[in-house]
Amino acid sequence: MKRLSVIFAALSLSTAAFAGAADDVVVHEPYVRLAPPNAPATGAFMVLRNGGAKAVKLVKAENPASRLTELHNHINDNGVMRMRQVPAIEIPAKGEAVLKPGGLHVMLIDMKAPLSEGQVVPITLGFDDGSSKVVEVKVQKVMPAAMPAAAPMQHGQHHH
Amino acid sequence: MSSERLLLAIVAVLVAVIVGVAVLWQPDAPAPAAPPTLPAGGEFTLQSADGPVSLKDFRGRVTLLYFGYTYCPDICPTTLSALTAGLAQLTPEERARVAVVFISVDPQRDTPEHLKTYVAFFDPGFVGVTGSPAELGELAGRYGVFYQRQPGGKDDAYIVDHTAETFAVGPDGRLLARMAHGTPPDQVAALIRQYLNQP
Ligand SMILES: [Cu+2]
Repeated sequence: MKRLSVIFAALSLSTAAFAGAADDVVVHEPYVRLAPPNAPATGAFMVLRNGGAKAVKLVKAENPASRLTELHNHINDNGVMRMRQVPAIEIPAKGEAVLKPGGLHVMLIDMKAPLSEGQVVPITLGFDDGSSKVVEVKVQKVMPAAMPAAAPMQHGQHHH
Repeated sequence: MSSERLLLAIVAVLVAVIVGVAVLWQPDAPAPAAPPTLPAGGEFTLQSADGPVSLKDFRGRVTLLYFGYTYCPDICPTTLSALTAGLAQLTPEERARVAVVFISVDPQRDTPEHLKTYVAFFDPGFVGVTGSPAELGELAGRYGVFYQRQPGGKDDAYIVDHTAETFAVGPDGRLLARMAHGTPPDQVAALIRQYLNQP
């Protein structure tokens, strides 16, 4: 019995060692945006904190709710939003990567079924050292207060 | 030219200047502080699930126009949520005098029926419209809107780059302002109020 527990301890140790980057990265405030029922895609947002001494790259994401999962960014080019797939999202050593509306996101593409508020989507995050972790992410209605600060409004000249 | 003719010409120019100043002089008008130029904007007729929709259908109301597409996972829903939240800050009387029109620049995927379900998620009163590529291109030009389908992606999974500003059209159909992406709800409500109460 004692021997068995030693084996278990060794096993769990080796699992932890293998986990690598996945163990250093802690996910905060994750959510999937509740989209209209017929929206073909939606986004998942979160803060990834790296407690390790080495930079980590998030290189892929998977989820069972959509047929395709990609890492994306938005570039605001003078008011034109250009969404682009990115090969990786870097999380600096002792730092964080912020995935938020208008910027980096995990994009859930080609939904298998409409999501409902409160539903949990398990998203598997894969890192550059081959380790991965599963995050249980709730589907939420996104409040506009969480949006990035706005640029000033442009009013036109009034001709009378 | 005789000196008499020259004198006559000078007098004529002076009279023209004086008359011009008298006509154009508006002591009450605020000095124009180099306002940003707005695109021409103007009329359109596009297709909704409930038939054709024209900008002139909304005369007497402040109309907010947004050009987007429903495949958009983030930018369009963010804007539509902010408009919904902004409208919620208005009184029912004010709300009744505001229209929101979502114009899809992706008619290949966004049918009028699809658009109706999509916009109703944010507010059942929102109107979703689209048109032919030629109609949309012409309209976008007048509103200074850019959009472009990106190469790559499968047949049904392409990205469209697009202007993410919201346009405010006054009760008389005139384009009055544009709001940047990410304008918070209280600013949306303030802008609408300003134009509703404008003489
Ligand atoms: Cu995306």
